[in-house]
Amino acid sequence: MRGRLKWCTGIATVALVITACSANEVPGENDAGDENDDAGSTSDTGDDSVRFLIAENFWADWAPYQSTAQSQARLETHIYDTLLQFPSGELDQPEPSLATEWEQVDETTWEFTLREGVTFHDGTPFTADDVKASVELASGATDVETVLQSRWVPTTGEIIDDHTIRLVTEEPFASLLNAVRQTSIVSSEDLEAGQDAMAQEPNGTGPFTLVDETETKKTMAANADYWNGPPAIEELVWEFVGDPQTRVSALLAGQADVIDRVPAEQHATIEGEDGYSLISATASEQVNLWSIPGRVSAWDESPELRRAVMLAIDRQALVDSLVMGESVVATSFAPEATLYHAAGSPAYEQDLDEARQLVQEAGAEGLEFELWVASGFLPRAEQVGEAIAANLNEIGLNVRVVPSDVAGLVDDSNSESGTGLLYHLSWSSGGDPDAATGIYATPNRWTAGDETIDRLVAEGKTTIDPQEREAVYAELQAYLWEQLPHIPLYNSDFTVAYSDRVRDLRVLPNYETDFYPASIGE
Amino acid sequence: MLLYTLRRTAQMLVVVLCVVTLVFLLLRIAAGDPARLMNAPDAPDEVVEATRERLGLDEPIYVQYLYFLRDLFSGDLGQSFQGGYSVAQVVFAALPNTAMLAAVTVVVSTLIALALGIGAALTRGSWFDRAVQVYVAFAQSIPSFWLAVVLVLVFAVQLGWLPAVDFTGPASFVLPVTTMAVALTPILIRTIRQSFIETLEQDYIRAARARGIAQRKILLVHTLKVASLPLVTLIGLQSGMILAGSYVVENIFNWPGIGKLAVDALTSRNFPMVQGAVLIAAVTFVLVNFVVDMLYTTLDPRIRLKGAS
Repeated sequence: MRGRLKWCTGIATVALVITACSANEVPGENDAGDENDDAGSTSDTGDDSVRFLIAENFWADWAPYQSTAQSQARLETHIYDTLLQFPSGELDQPEPSLATEWEQVDETTWEFTLREGVTFHDGTPFTADDVKASVELASGATDVETVLQSRWVPTTGEIIDDHTIRLVTEEPFASLLNAVRQTSIVSSEDLEAGQDAMAQEPNGTGPFTLVDETETKKTMAANADYWNGPPAIEELVWEFVGDPQTRVSALLAGQADVIDRVPAEQHATIEGEDGYSLISATASEQVNLWSIPGRVSAWDESPELRRAVMLAIDRQALVDSLVMGESVVATSFAPEATLYHAAGSPAYEQDLDEARQLVQEAGAEGLEFELWVASGFLPRAEQVGEAIAANLNEIGLNVRVVPSDVAGLVDDSNSESGTGLLYHLSWSSGGDPDAATGIYATPNRWTAGDETIDRLVAEGKTTIDPQEREAVYAELQAYLWEQLPHIPLYNSDFTVAYSDRVRDLRVLPNYETDFYPASIGE
Repeated sequence: MLLYTLRRTAQMLVVVLCVVTLVFLLLRIAAGDPARLMNAPDAPDEVVEATRERLGLDEPIYVQYLYFLRDLFSGDLGQSFQGGYSVAQVVFAALPNTAMLAAVTVVVSTLIALALGIGAALTRGSWFDRAVQVYVAFAQSIPSFWLAVVLVLVFAVQLGWLPAVDFTGPASFVLPVTTMAVALTPILIRTIRQSFIETLEQDYIRAARARGIAQRKILLVHTLKVASLPLVTLIGLQSGMILAGSYVVENIFNWPGIGKLAVDALTSRNFPMVQGAVLIAAVTFVLVNFVVDMLYTTLDPRIRLKGAS
């Protein structure tokens, strides 16, 4: 009898512990979960809450202009506003945001009329002081080095009155609108208080405020005082989930409303389910095999070898059978969605015979080198790497595929003791030609400091006349296509899947996923 | 006993210190430069250097290590590289989730293993025994990551009976615990079966039978207690495997525990967070083994602790 009592007590204790633990909210975890909604058949998010699972970790903090991480940029567009917005994703179609009017006064001066009655989340009124402080910091016009300054030329602000400002660039600057698009307007008072405080507590004028954050989760609440009207979504939860299958499972089980970087092989499954849809932004991400100068002298010195590699790879097969989705074979070093994109010639379709001949001409038979691929980010990276290595080994090269994670790959490429020659990575530029091609110029560590590239990139940045600018970028793309400092593979797509309860979700070519002015349906 | 406890405590501290030191060094030597990772490829060197300084990575490794030890002994696990959160707070928020998952897995696995192991031992050579052997071979050969995905697709996505991810309530335990139990039960079942068979052949069991003691009492009192000794040891040893398994399972089920925390931190080279997670895992592991050793002496009074007076 006493033994039975012990067993019963033990089982009851275990049950109580489990129940007690589960009844309590888990610290730092999904606070949006409904206590009564334990089964996976319905969404764990509340009626006015949206849960978005993203593939890229939150690498950065909120220190302004110190990151180019996609995940951080996408968060910031909900907390902060910019002077202008580009809801179509096209750079030549700006619409008012914090600026209501704008005009180019001369080659180096732009005048912006600012919106009145806007306040930061802490209640501070928005004025021209904030624009001046933000732009001067972002553009590198102060003593503080920023990551974003490479997208600008140094620019100062001349305040006309509280709601009118002139931005004066150090030299003519053709990509100003793109720079404006990437520059969140922060409070000048916050900047005076120091970037360290801002790194922890973002204070913008945007449609959402940050209410809670952990390492892998950011929770935002609707800004009821937003100048353009409060968001229909009351709570927006961003959460990093690295495993693609887990993201898809969570969506289809009703535990997430939106997921990104949906693997192409899952598109048909999701489209086949009632109540789910896909949106793809295409052709703004350039996937290359990036080479590191100084690693293999034959690569640096022999255009024939680089051309042989380009001709050996069956890029169409990669797109059709591995990457899939809406991806397209790269026809330039700038993605197809880039302003002034110009397809190169020749097309570099696979030609193994010519590739073998070029390898022989280069005296590179049996040349050994490493090709690094990173799992978990670009679709089917390992398989793409293996397919490329098979192509290259067919023409007499000896290529070893090194699988890694993104961090390991970036580190090997940057390290003096790195062992790789080619790295399978992407660069997304949102359609701006300076952002798309600037990556090939100094000070990018992955270039050899080619003077022609540096000159043409600088010219493209400062040439205001559209026709002249187009000619500069055509020349630059043709030069890159001929020299092949890296191996352009394809422009990959970016696919978001979402539950149909989320209405009017917008995915832009620069991968912004806009939850304003989205709403929640029945 | 006191001497033994003190000696074991000292051993545990050395083990934990060795583990965290090894992890500290491996991260600094082999895991690369988080500052470079956090900046764009075309970021000026000055920006990268400023990031390195902010993270404290500009100091020589031995200086970083001394700072780390100083903070560790004052109970400070440092700040996360991303967001500046207190590592201790984040790690201790995640720890109960992993502990609960592990505890439920151990309880469920043990109950299943006892039932199947004892049943197989008592019916040696029967269809039931053979069925259990088949299960053991089958379960041993199933990769956890594959099983987890299949379970989610069937029970969460297709049938909608259970949550696919997260920790939202008791039902959330079912799929991850099943996944881990399938990995853990084979070795437990085999051990229990073998131990039971050997114990049942002991002279004192035969004597008990000869004295007319009821079969049920022989099994539950005499056999189970002795046969469970290797089970206790095994569970202690398997606690490492359970912690390691939780790294896979937590990521697939988005379970907010130490395993997911460590993997997420590793992918972003968040050194302080990885160190904190590994430290807590190491401490948990040595503590579990310590408790198992204590239990062992309680279960079998014949065993005396060396060093205990």
